[in-house]
Amino acid sequence: MKNEENLAYFLNEAKTIKPRELGRKLRVAFLASSTINGFEETMRVKCYKKGIDCVTYVADYNQYNQELLNENSGLYQFKPDITFLILDTRHILGDYFFSWYSVPYDDRSKIISKKISEIEIVCNTFAKNSDSKLIVTSLQIPNYSPYGIDDGHVTTSLRQIISQINTELFQWNLQYKLLTYDFDQFVRKYGENNIFNYKQFFSGDIKISTEYIPKFVDELMRYVYAVTGITKKCIVLDLDNTLWGGIIGEEGFDNIKLGDNPVGRAFVEFQKRLLALNQRGILLAINSKNNFNDAIEVIQKHPSMILREDNFACIKINWDDKVVNLQRIAEELNIGLDSLVFFDDDPINQEYVRESLPDVLVVDFPKDPSQYSQIITEMKEFEVLRITEEDIQRSSMYLGQKRRKELENKFDDYNEFLKHMNIQVEVKKADSFTIPRISQLTLKTNQFNMTTKRYQEDEVSKFSSSDNKIVECVQVSDKFGDNGITGTYVIEKKDDEEWIIDTFLLSCRIMGRGVEEIMIDQIIEKARLSGIKRIKGEFIPTTKNKPAENFYEKLGFDKEDNFWVFNTNNIMKKPEHIKVKKNE
Amino acid sequence: MSEKLYQIISKVFSIDSNRINDETSPENLEEWNSFNFYVLLDEIEKEFEMKFDLDELLGIKKVGDLKKIFTKHGINIE
Repeated sequence: MKNEENLAYFLNEAKTIKPRELGRKLRVAFLASSTINGFEETMRVKCYKKGIDCVTYVADYNQYNQELLNENSGLYQFKPDITFLILDTRHILGDYFFSWYSVPYDDRSKIISKKISEIEIVCNTFAKNSDSKLIVTSLQIPNYSPYGIDDGHVTTSLRQIISQINTELFQWNLQYKLLTYDFDQFVRKYGENNIFNYKQFFSGDIKISTEYIPKFVDELMRYVYAVTGITKKCIVLDLDNTLWGGIIGEEGFDNIKLGDNPVGRAFVEFQKRLLALNQRGILLAINSKNNFNDAIEVIQKHPSMILREDNFACIKINWDDKVVNLQRIAEELNIGLDSLVFFDDDPINQEYVRESLPDVLVVDFPKDPSQYSQIITEMKEFEVLRITEEDIQRSSMYLGQKRRKELENKFDDYNEFLKHMNIQVEVKKADSFTIPRISQLTLKTNQFNMTTKRYQEDEVSKFSSSDNKIVECVQVSDKFGDNGITGTYVIEKKDDEEWIIDTFLLSCRIMGRGVEEIMIDQIIEKARLSGIKRIKGEFIPTTKNKPAENFYEKLGFDKEDNFWVFNTNNIMKKPEHIKVKKNE
Repeated sequence: MSEKLYQIISKVFSIDSNRINDETSPENLEEWNSFNFYVLLDEIEKEFEMKFDLDELLGIKKVGDLKKIFTKHGINIE
């Protein structure tokens, strides 16, 4: 994770990369009112490094209105997945940018409304003509005002009206396809005097200085992660000199650095950042070479420890190989190695894991603990377009999972264990509450996923309102608590005789408890009620969905060409340990 | 010093430094375009701790022009 690369590097690298056979494909379009040389090159290189083959389209200089409004434009022919519309305060406001204070008070709100509706029209046209996500950048609020220190007292000051336009832009976030990137926040982070270089602006109409283009594209990459679903799910942490200063086995409980002293504060702050991520749904795990009892005592009892046992979905404190531990963690949490981020202060461990498990993101750790918190605040790999209720509940769900495992180990007979679990399944229709989660499941589920079709929210929303489709999901709970919405299916009603299972998936942490059978049974029952004779399913193999391979066969589907077919006259044996609640 | 300059140019344009001389310009070097020229200036400004003004920037047509500006700024490149 080195970010020192400058624009020259990206420009040159972009010439050498070639699409790979197996890479994920992504089509990205850029629209702007100024020169955006370097953006697409940088993005292609950054995507390439993440295993994504990115193809780009850059609209002609200052043609974005025409491109967006003309439905035959190159933009629409390109069929982007993500489109970035980079707005610019000077361009949007024209002369008002300089002479706003000469506009009579009474005219000001009219002008703002007009500017907003101009942007709205092009965005809405785009939403109508394209399935792409549209990311619009907010307007930068300039630092300077001709009114100087008195600017704060002016009503409808330039700054106020720009933030009013921005507020309006952000409200469009409520729609599925339009998203706003807070460009003003980007400028605040690095400073207007750095981002805006007068020399480059006057001579080349460059509005984001060449030095900051890689940093800006880094920000845009957040959307690439979220849209392609390659976000990280779990942070795996070392302990000594990572969560606290010093080595517990040598220095002991009372002497490690954690708490109210300069070095201790750095670790406390770092832990608080981790806790906040944990609370929003990023899992934490421990991978540490230590005597278990020494280390766990700190986690349980140290007065300054922020993260406690319950914050960790998986704890590996032992003398085993770190790579083996990482593999175990992925396995136990039922997530891919490519969902893991590894935090370890030791450069040798970092290198070892990087070499052995290239899928794991290994963070380049600074030597100085005071810089640790910044690792978190600079990370862009946890992005999702929308944080769902499941994200927020995830940590407690995994805690329930830990308890389930403990119960499972007490039974010799797996079926006896299932009976004791009191599993309940609630079938829910896709609606505004469940659509974000359904989309997220299609984007993130790899293992028990029959077709691995990825759907964005707007697509799920379209399906759910279509007469030809059924979109439902299941919420699963048991004696250890709620697992949340963990399974979903999309049925295509082909005709009066046949339904096709377009999508059928279940989160891997629920797999093997009979929920998948209950879901199929729901589909069969529904089909029978509609007089449907045949249900047709398909298994599209990927590198990850082996666990779902024999599913249809096991349930009595018959093979026909590439499909599996169930005749609704037949009876499917369904598990009896699950209570089903229907929400019609 | 001249060597340092050639190093920067060769890095930014990703070319062998023996292709660079005083007469090297966008006219005879395909890798040099109107945009990566700015990237080159960024790198030079950082390396030599100096700033080009707008006039100087607009006057740079070939590598020799860069050297003249260094002389003007009292930066010894020989």
